[in-house]
Amino acid sequence: MLVWSLDEPHRLGECFPVEEAVCLGRGGPLSDDPAPRGGFFRSRPGQAAPCPPVGNARVSRLHLVLAPEGDALRVRSLGRAPLKINGTLTKDGLAREGDVVEIHNAAVFYVSLRPRVLPAAPGVGDAFGFGEPDAFGLVGESEAAWALRQAYAFAASTDRHVLVLGESGVGKELAARSIHGMSDRHERPFIARNAATMPDTLIDAELFGNAKNYPNAGMPERAGLVGEADGSTLFLDEIGDLPEKSQVHLLRVLDSDGEYQRLGEARSRRSAFRLVAATNRAAQSLKHDFLARFVHRIEIPGLPQRREDIPLVVARILSTIAAKNPRIGERFFERRAGALAEARITPELVSRLIRHPFTHHVRELERVLWLAIGCAQADYIGVTPEVEGELRDSAESATEVAEIGKEALERALADNDRSPTKAAKALGLKNRYVLIRLLKKHGLSAGTDSDKDDR
Amino acid sequence: MSSRAALLRDTLEIALCDDRFPALFYDKLFAARPSLRPMFTRNSPGAQQKMFAQKLAAIVDSVDQPELLRAEARAIAKSHASYGIRPEMYGWVGEALIAALREAVGPGEWTAEAEAAWTEAYTAVAEAVLAEPPA
Ligand code: HEM
Repeated sequence: MLVWSLDEPHRLGECFPVEEAVCLGRGGPLSDDPAPRGGFFRSRPGQAAPCPPVGNARVSRLHLVLAPEGDALRVRSLGRAPLKINGTLTKDGLAREGDVVEIHNAAVFYVSLRPRVLPAAPGVGDAFGFGEPDAFGLVGESEAAWALRQAYAFAASTDRHVLVLGESGVGKELAARSIHGMSDRHERPFIARNAATMPDTLIDAELFGNAKNYPNAGMPERAGLVGEADGSTLFLDEIGDLPEKSQVHLLRVLDSDGEYQRLGEARSRRSAFRLVAATNRAAQSLKHDFLARFVHRIEIPGLPQRREDIPLVVARILSTIAAKNPRIGERFFERRAGALAEARITPELVSRLIRHPFTHHVRELERVLWLAIGCAQADYIGVTPEVEGELRDSAESATEVAEIGKEALERALADNDRSPTKAAKALGLKNRYVLIRLLKKHGLSAGTDSDKDDR
Repeated sequence: MSSRAALLRDTLEIALCDDRFPALFYDKLFAARPSLRPMFTRNSPGAQQKMFAQKLAAIVDSVDQPELLRAEARAIAKSHASYGIRPEMYGWVGEALIAALREAVGPGEWTAEAEAAWTEAYTAVAEAVLAEPPA
């Protein structure tokens, strides 16, 4: 997938399938091409729209020959601008899923395994520009992004309560807004609240409202979130922070088809709301019968599960920043025909971000980009020492890891008192987890670590 | 592909390996003809350079295909119609382009033959652009 292009930034997200040996270069085929020309596609559910060949001037007429080789991709360079795989110069090398292939200062590709045409996604709107945010703000053309859109659409169509799971920063509110927006309830106002920010003593009043003058005189009547969300969607974030008692109260309302009482009021009311609850904790941490009320559980993948989307998300974040901060736009963005166009971001930063093990996802990405902007020395956004300090990718690549053999593993363990942490370090791996995965693959095991601070 | 097309393509690709090209072209153009600078206001210098490099590559790639070349000329004529360009400016642009290529390609590869090929190709495109009826 194309993830950075000097001359053609609008083409990010296009795929270049390699099912057999193919050539990649600027323009159409040449008579002496060693293999057929591969083509670019904009792949979406049920369709793969062909795109023009590369027009990028720094890509040679015949630049790369790519061919599948086992579970990897053999990449040979015949072009002028040097080839880099994961930042290392080479003329001929192997790349695997997760690796980054760069034609120096011209184009960057991310290697991923995916179907040429994504599975059809009935009911999912695709009336938005390729690579742009959808109607609800989700950015991404990866398989995972489209699977997510489909999950939202399905949940929206069924009108059942939904539990959204995902680490912080993955966009759980966006999930709820998407479900609301695609549902028949979309014309009613979306009600959202973070359970973690509600003071314990006021939670029930927040949720169910209260009668006038209750609990004390002068208290205005309040409809509560449940009441406000009648006919609409109620989004409760960080539901895991809701005390058990309140989970029970809410559960009772869900069980009785929306029947509830305002505090200080005898009569029952009914609210036809749909609950979308979210938590960044494991689902098991919720009360069991509360959990059981959610037929739909949508797990939102983090950025490392949809690395191909990172460059599109980066472009989106940067253009939002530029739109709000004209001086940043002026300094770091190109202008085309008078309008703000693409940001000047180095291919190195894009490659590094793709390979970074995000834990706070979009929020973390935003923070790193702000940092990169804040400490930029020139008129482009790149990897400064400050940014370097935030990125944890290391030189390790899927290919290099796959090439570490059983003997090397055994030797590294023997030389390091069988400590996985030390052995991982000796092998140049990112952390001990990578090593443990490798050991498993080779049927080996290590000792246990006394120190845990190897991340 | 004709040997002339190959020569144009190779020299352009070599020039583009020098990160100063095509900025070098604009530096030379504005140094020689400062009056042109205020005409370039819509695109940032970086964007203008990328688009110019891309267009040069497209022209070089279609130099053996008169139909494609004509389409490129037509597109340039159309987009440039509102920029207030006078015909003699094409000569100025041509001079700066050849000078920039000469410097970026370097004496080893920039032969008299290459210079002749570029001069001829540029002149042909400039004439084709000017021959397009005003929009
Ligand atoms: C064959 C020769 C030429 C080529 C290949 C070429 C190519 C381009 C390209 C690709 C663009 C940007 C896209 C567009 O607006 O079409 C552009 C813009 C422009 N060109 Fe040319 N051009 C040529 C000749 C000239 C000449 C002779 C002039 C005279 C000064 C000129 C002045 C401009 C101006 C003023 C712009 C708009 C830039 C701005 O406003 O920032 N071009 N050219």
